Amino acid sequence: MGQQLFIFGAAFLGSAVESVEALTIVLAVGLTRGWRDPLLGAAAALVLLAALVLGFGQLIVTTIPDSALKLVVGTLLLLFGLRWLHKAVLRSAGVVAMHDEEHAFSQAVSQLGDATSRRDWVGFVLALKGVFLEGLEVVFIVIAVGGTGHGFPAAIAGGILAAIVVAATGLVVRRPLARVPENTLKYGVGVILTSLGTFWAAEGMGASWPLDFVSILGLVVVYFAASRVAIALIRRPALA
Amino acid sequence: MKFLRAGARQVVGLFVGDWVQSAVVLVIVAAGWFAVSRFGPVALVVMVALLSGQLVWFARAEGRPSSSPR
Repeated sequence: MGQQLFIFGAAFLGSAVESVEALTIVLAVGLTRGWRDPLLGAAAALVLLAALVLGFGQLIVTTIPDSALKLVVGTLLLLFGLRWLHKAVLRSAGVVAMHDEEHAFSQAVSQLGDATSRRDWVGFVLALKGVFLEGLEVVFIVIAVGGTGHGFPAAIAGGILAAIVVAATGLVVRRPLARVPENTLKYGVGVILTSLGTFWAAEGMGASWPLDFVSILGLVVVYFAASRVAIALIRRPALA
Repeated sequence: MKFLRAGARQVVGLFVGDWVQSAVVLVIVAAGWFAVSRFGPVALVVMVALLSGQLVWFARAEGRPSSSPR
């Protein structure tokens, strides 16, 4: 039960971060070119992504031996999580500017303003591309987090709920979710995914952790401490 | 074609930010794979310490004042 909740939470948080980025693109296109085509593009991307999750997820879970799956997916999850954590450390230390959805939104709007003379399918393709590319990360998070720990339904539920919550919020506010603390979320999810990746990769190697999945909490503490040390070593005055 | 290339770049970019850092992580995991069967839990502790250490090392390398802020 605890492990299922952990899987659900990790999939939900990771997917929410990426959904905010996809929503920013759809909102920028919709507000500039009208809503019909961008919404159709977003819907088409969601269908493609769902097919990927169901197709690859089932294929991976049913054809690859459990230990090999844990080693490969754990290692990929470790690389993925460390990448987010590395970026979060640099942002928290003021080395790299914080990611700004408001800025990304206005940039997209101004680019679209130049393209208004083009045909309507521009809005469709832009929304499809944005949602599909951002959604690929959601797909990976859902497959990786759910596929190894027999928690596929919990991970899919987390991913879908995150997308629904973000989309509903976007419908209500019709503005980019600039107030979502994206960098903090990415920091937290980076720590969790790195810990899950280490846990599963080691299980795939044949190791058994003391206290089973509770060890993930210990790994979270270790990676969080390491990231704080890194931030303390390189801290600079914050960039905008 | 451009779309497929962007998709491929996105997929690779999910896992690889810095090729050297990714290679170091893979070497640590590979070494851990061999060590776990021989040394048991001690190898796990060393592997986690090395993974945490590389996080600090690469952040420090990129965050050094001489490297320009992006």
